[in-house]
Amino acid sequence: MEIVEMLRGPVTIIEPRGALDKSGAPPFGDRIFAVIDSGSRNLLVDLQQIVYISSAGFRTLLLAHKRADEVKAKLVLCGVSAEVRRLFELGRVLDLFTICATRDEGVAKAT
Amino acid sequence: MENVQTRIPNRLDAMAGVVSIVEAFGKEHGLSHRIVNDVNVALDEVLNNIISYAFEPGARSEIGIRLEIIGGKIVIDIDDAGRPFDPLGAPPPDLTGGLRERRVGGLGIHFVRNLMDAVEYTRVGERNRLRLSKTLASDEREEPGGEWHGNR
Repeated sequence: MEIVEMLRGPVTIIEPRGALDKSGAPPFGDRIFAVIDSGSRNLLVDLQQIVYISSAGFRTLLLAHKRADEVKAKLVLCGVSAEVRRLFELGRVLDLFTICATRDEGVAKAT
Repeated sequence: MENVQTRIPNRLDAMAGVVSIVEAFGKEHGLSHRIVNDVNVALDEVLNNIISYAFEPGARSEIGIRLEIIGGKIVIDIDDAGRPFDPLGAPPPDLTGGLRERRVGGLGIHFVRNLMDAVEYTRVGERNRLRLSKTLASDEREEPGGEWHGNR
């Protein structure tokens, strides 16, 4: 799991690369929590470079989103492929997340 | 016989190799991205369960995986020598409630059941055997020029 992080204005963009599985999800989750703990309240998670996401990845996304919610931070997703979107639907978590079609929209939404 | 078999050690770091095998198998048989993704996610959940819970801590073992296309279906057999465990016995997860109330666990077997058409568990001697199968719809075996091969 490689995690690329960049800033666009106030928004921290986090882009995991690889499989968001049981091995990849923990470092990804740690990174999001670290960004929130460092004070960022605007986060965009770009999923376009993930190979696939398993239940471990969803668990991490949900925990991160709950944490963001607790501290009133915005957490937005983009880069969601058709396959990944279908898993969001299967897990009935689609409505829990704000999902944008492009990174630019995501940045605007997370600002 | 259109099949591929492998054995992996019961370690999480062995799973990346399985993803490569599924992708190569999908490419060879012209399977769609969607089917390859479904099989990868389902296998990930099943193998994670086995590796994380079937063995005593530190116990070394091997897990057998076999992929085959039979009669318009992809069939995935997984067998392990771990303690008896029927994943189909797990209760369905609670998928209701908003963000604050939502439980974060239990999605794994839910994904497996929903991504596959059939899941069968049998205990044979000292081994667990799980068979996953999914019918390949006509649009899920793409012709050259389709999504998987790219347009030329």
